[in-house]
Amino acid sequence: MSAILKPKSKLIVCDGNEAAAWAVSLADVDMVAVYPITPQSSLVEYLAKFIADGRLGAEIVDVEGEHSVLSVLQGACLAGARTYTASCGPGLAFMFEPYLRTPGLRLPLVMTIVTRDTLTPQSVWGGHQDAMSVREVGWVQMYCESVQEVLDTTIMAYRIAEHRDVMLPVNICHDGNYLSFGAARCELPDQGEVRDFLGAKDVNWHVALDPQRPMAVDPLTGGAGGPGPSTFVRYRKGQCSGMQNSLEVISEVHEDWGRRFGRYHAPLIESYRMEGADYAMITIGSMTGAAKDAVDEARARGEKVGLLKVKTYRPFPAQALADALAQVKAAGVVDRSVSFGWNCGPLFQDVIAAMYYAPRRIPAMSFIGGLAGADLTISHFERVIGRIKELARDGHAAETVWLNEKD
Amino acid sequence: MGAAYETIHFKAEACDGCNDCMSACAQAKTQTDEHLHSRIQIVPSGEGFELAICRQCGDPQCVLTCPAAALSKNAGSGVVDWDRTKCVNCLLCTVGCAYGGIAYDSVSSRVIKCDMCDGAPACVKACTTGALKHVTTARIYNEAGNLEDLFAPGLSGCQGCNTELIMRHALRRIGPDVVVATPPGCIPGMGSVGYNGLTGTKVPVFHPLLTNTASMLAGVRRQYKRSGRDVLAVALAGDGGTADVGFQSLSGAAERGEEMLYICVDNEGYMNTGMQRSGCTPYGAWTSTTPVGERAHGKTQDAKNLPLLMVMHNCAYVATASTAFMEDLYDKLDRAIQAAKTGFAYLHIYSPCTTGWRFASDQNIEVARKAVETNFVLLWEFNPEDGLQFTHPVENARPIDEYLEVLGKYRHLDRDQVAHIERSLAHNLARIRGFVAARGAASAAAGRS
Repeated sequence: MSAILKPKSKLIVCDGNEAAAWAVSLADVDMVAVYPITPQSSLVEYLAKFIADGRLGAEIVDVEGEHSVLSVLQGACLAGARTYTASCGPGLAFMFEPYLRTPGLRLPLVMTIVTRDTLTPQSVWGGHQDAMSVREVGWVQMYCESVQEVLDTTIMAYRIAEHRDVMLPVNICHDGNYLSFGAARCELPDQGEVRDFLGAKDVNWHVALDPQRPMAVDPLTGGAGGPGPSTFVRYRKGQCSGMQNSLEVISEVHEDWGRRFGRYHAPLIESYRMEGADYAMITIGSMTGAAKDAVDEARARGEKVGLLKVKTYRPFPAQALADALAQVKAAGVVDRSVSFGWNCGPLFQDVIAAMYYAPRRIPAMSFIGGLAGADLTISHFERVIGRIKELARDGHAAETVWLNEKD
Repeated sequence: MGAAYETIHFKAEACDGCNDCMSACAQAKTQTDEHLHSRIQIVPSGEGFELAICRQCGDPQCVLTCPAAALSKNAGSGVVDWDRTKCVNCLLCTVGCAYGGIAYDSVSSRVIKCDMCDGAPACVKACTTGALKHVTTARIYNEAGNLEDLFAPGLSGCQGCNTELIMRHALRRIGPDVVVATPPGCIPGMGSVGYNGLTGTKVPVFHPLLTNTASMLAGVRRQYKRSGRDVLAVALAGDGGTADVGFQSLSGAAERGEEMLYICVDNEGYMNTGMQRSGCTPYGAWTSTTPVGERAHGKTQDAKNLPLLMVMHNCAYVATASTAFMEDLYDKLDRAIQAAKTGFAYLHIYSPCTTGWRFASDQNIEVARKAVETNFVLLWEFNPEDGLQFTHPVENARPIDEYLEVLGKYRHLDRDQVAHIERSLAHNLARIRGFVAARGAASAAAGRS
């Protein structure tokens, strides 16, 4: 991160929820639909205040539930609006029906998931289970590590979503509690420069509800024996192509952001001290800060450990990950959620699937921690590093390790 | 298109034989009180009266029999015009007319007939008993006949589908500057959004989810309003998606006063998916999920009164309508379209389903009419200013059996079930009358203050 403030930038101290609201203001959004839920609520309160103060020219629609949140935004987007919302946990579950439909409509909605563990057991605390549960739906998902990254990524999300080779909705995931309420230094870029960076809004060139260019949106397709299934397949393949195209677009956009604003965030996977690493720890989200500290301490002791942070989780940067792991003898993945049925973390599953592309088999283990708001500290990551080191030595992967089980 | 077919309707039981109508006609046409000059003749018949007047027939026999082309059907007004300069006084027309509508006038020695007084008949104005009524059923035809049907021919509805009728009439009236939401159900089922990239709808149309029609439309409308364009947002939705799974988004949008016209086409169940029960299915009705067997005899609960629930949201406009009363329906469409420019307008249109309710496909309008005439369906409208009022009150309702017996879905009903339906209808009528009375009391109170 640059220590020197850009001339037109402003420096504030804020939490991740406020940072996201600032990003929405800077991105010149037209329509915001909201429904409050912990730990997202302060984010939409900031938005309401920014709009009330005239700082953000968007219209805010206080709807009666998350299902309508996405529905209002889909309608607005089809009429040409740049849109935003945020939700999490049970709210995300309730909006699942329109959520499921958004990528197929190729609508470039941008939505923050202030991640929260899912019910039940009852919990209002952070965890990635909500966002991970919707990972296969077709939204681009990017996970942030810091308050600044929340702000920068939220703005970048619009350029990624609205890129003509992508045209897909984007989730920016930031950790409930740790990023939502953790305050930090944050640079606010200049509105004009953000406008130049994002370019003109162009959200419904491909699908619109507009009497000036009438079309039927989303007619029935399918049905054996006719042209239906092949039409359906073309739509599905197109959606997959948009997803894959986004890998390159995400990289380009991050690069351009760095050039313009001086902050270069790793777009897909961040390699941290991987030079000559014998083994690697793989993290996602805000836990990465403590994990990097643990890596620093281990390196100071002479351990050859490195870290890979997954920023873009959907589409999964499989090749980049396989390349980054090519030289290591073992890998451990720390998840903040669970994949039921596999008894491991979902990121772990993706990592081992990606490692199929590696030239040789790399032993790997799954670690699960930070559920329901539990803190993942340097000492937890020291345990992880110690266990991966063993794995690198003997190649015997143990069952999933639950980091906070006996805290 | 464009020919009007208006006429003067005679309610014989209301006529007291005062002959004011004949005086008015004689005055209007000859400036005398001589009833012989009147084009309208009230004729004693038994204990009552009959009417002799030109019906302005759609297929006038007098025009056919006239050898001099002195009689013609006016394509613009629909009146059968008599041209005195061409008439050869042969009187064949008086023989051809079965209604005594054209007659010989011994004073002028010419035939005389009603010319509808340029659309404002003097006889109707003079009638104080309500026996005469100027019926302009063709007003809709005149006003809407030339409007473009915004659905292409060939929608794949069931034969005799009433919902298709509603779709076509509504969109004709609404016009092209619109975005139309048609959630899953019969309406997209018959092709409103189309299949595999082809559509028969000429305006922007989409499938919302079954659950989010009102909220998706709210987003569309708000964005156009924001960008300074007046685009009407219209829903054509079934009762299931409206009353059941879509009710939350409907209620939210109504509470927020989202600007749209939400038309609920109520065919009392999920007819498109195979006739399952909805919250709008009436008590006793057979559906595929409230079947009739040894232990079960149709639905065991009354229908949800959805339009009344919308009144409770204090919408800008709420009305019930029926395709058997098209003038009423068109009037309500007009008011709803207007209301939808500034608030939430809700129109609940009853739509008998030939397939799901089990009746012959040529009886749709008859069924719809019977529903109103038995007070099974009440026609009313509401706005916050004027409250709730009947638009077609039925004082002497026909027995409910006349409605129930034409529908296969009620064929199994026993006496207790019919009694339940009668009680429910009475309660419903009393409830709505209560609202109408409250309105009267409220305006009286407002008048005093």
